[in-house]
Amino acid sequence: MSDSTTPLLEARGITKAYGNVTALTGINFKLFGGEIVGLVGDNGAGKSTLVKTLCGAHQPTGGQILIEGEEVTFSSPKESRERGIEVVYQDLALANELSVAENIFLGREMKRAGFLGRIGTMDRKAMYASAIETLESLAIEIKSVEARCGMMSGGQRQAVAVARAIMWGSKVLLLDEPTAALAVAESDKIAGLVAGVKDKGVGVILVSHNLPQVHELCDRVVVLLRGRVVTELHRGEYSIDDMVSWITGAALHKK
Amino acid sequence: MVCEREMTYDGRENEVMDLNGPDATNGVAVDASMTDEAFEIEQGQLSIETERRLARRRKFLQRIQQQGLVLVLIIVVCIMWASSPYFMSKYNLLTAGSVVSILGIMAVTETLLVIAAEIDISIGGVMALVSVVLGLLVGKGVNVWLGSLIAMAVAGLVGTINGVITVHFKINSLVTTLGTFSIATGLAYVLSGTTTVQIGGSGFGFLGSGYIATVPSTVYFFVGIWLVGAFIARYTTLGRHIYATGDNVEAADRSGIRPNKIRMGLFIANSLAAGFAGLVVTSELSSSAPQLGDPYLLAVVTAVILGGTSLTGGRGRLSGTLLAVAILGVVQNGFALLEFSSYLQNLVTGCLLILAVLVDQFVRRAER
Repeated sequence: MSDSTTPLLEARGITKAYGNVTALTGINFKLFGGEIVGLVGDNGAGKSTLVKTLCGAHQPTGGQILIEGEEVTFSSPKESRERGIEVVYQDLALANELSVAENIFLGREMKRAGFLGRIGTMDRKAMYASAIETLESLAIEIKSVEARCGMMSGGQRQAVAVARAIMWGSKVLLLDEPTAALAVAESDKIAGLVAGVKDKGVGVILVSHNLPQVHELCDRVVVLLRGRVVTELHRGEYSIDDMVSWITGAALHKK
Repeated sequence: MVCEREMTYDGRENEVMDLNGPDATNGVAVDASMTDEAFEIEQGQLSIETERRLARRRKFLQRIQQQGLVLVLIIVVCIMWASSPYFMSKYNLLTAGSVVSILGIMAVTETLLVIAAEIDISIGGVMALVSVVLGLLVGKGVNVWLGSLIAMAVAGLVGTINGVITVHFKINSLVTTLGTFSIATGLAYVLSGTTTVQIGGSGFGFLGSGYIATVPSTVYFFVGIWLVGAFIARYTTLGRHIYATGDNVEAADRSGIRPNKIRMGLFIANSLAAGFAGLVVTSELSSSAPQLGDPYLLAVVTAVILGGTSLTGGRGRLSGTLLAVAILGVVQNGFALLEFSSYLQNLVTGCLLILAVLVDQFVRRAER
């Protein structure tokens, strides 16, 4: 799937223990640019812990995280964001009273040239134009970038959150249950959006319970069971039933 | 994984929702009491017609909120004009402007603070403390301007304390500032021993009772501070960050904005504004007095809320605050002219306040 030999993001032997409880054991995991990797597993299999560890919200007890071959340690999600890893949470962090463009540019507003810019005056026109461009490049349909986010549907808000991550040059997108709270039509749109993101060379990790969607979207699927990677499934080589049997652990016994 | 797919029928329209896995139990199913619009929003499939209707309603209600204030202002002006022949005289209007500007100075920073989802009710105490500290220093022979500077530093200190307790110890700002209000007021009385000190000279009188081209100095202060505040709120990145902080702290934090810093700064700015207002009133009275902040607290908070700033944060405009300050000014002045009791004035202000909150509630509900 990838056009380069160095993975964007790599986990080597990641272990995470809380006291005596081991949540993750020796996780090896690679993500290349332009691919979508699904992360599935039953509740408590360690998906969320892995995502939190990869983005720096939790620190691993053992193992290494590498970005483009370089070992990194993140003490907070802020640090991982600076290295191009963006998590889009299910309940997205958008300010409802602000417009789409204002949300996309929140914290990174464009300023005017000259004195006005130096005292912090925003260049609204440029921000709106740039926001429209980004949304169009991702084929996100939104009436107006001046519309308040609070007025939009869950799917549109999710799309704005993804657009924001892309706009800011994220190389790795971690989507934690992006469609769980959405209606079907909305959910399909987000799936389309994720596919578009992939075409931009971004690596996507998709954590989802929606197995048909994972089956359809993902190039590879990493299955977690009780804190370990039990298998990696490749596109076209497995059925949804196979995936279920790996998730439940039934496949291990069949062997 | 038993219920990997589940079908539900919402019973409202011929549409079937597909709920996946674990969320099916969390009740994504549609609430039967939902309005058509809410239902469609939930579905993410607004028909163009509904969309237009919603937009129209929203605009209408917003207009009521903004232009309602203009309307109220016109009405109170007309009533006062009809009731008292002196009301419309230039002299009276300037006096009214001078009086109301003092609360206006504080209403600007308080508005920004409320937009950031905090509130500061210690302002009356800060005014008193600043006045008394200045009185003490002047009584000891300190230059009045140096004394003012030191008194302002005290105001800044109170603001810092408000900020630290609220932001770092995560105490509700209403509680924090109620505490500092009590402390500052108590301290003012203790320090002054309820006596007043004459303060004047070195041109200090200009602060509270000076004129430039027949317009009172306080009006300039208010207009100046208002312009700065409105510019920040509307045109600057700082303004966006203040709104975002009040709207969704988590979003603000994740965007790399430092909401704590912003709230801290606003608490200090608000205390400094209150301190400055304290100096202005002290100058006007030519003496320090521990009770001089008393009438301002309620008036300032009323102006902010009447102006349409939402107490839940993230929403508000300084243009609304300006109109509200003007309305309060006319009501105060008119009641004084008509020799009505000031208690009656409180009654009218209270009614306006409740009306303003009700309108705000309506607007927000219509937007759902």
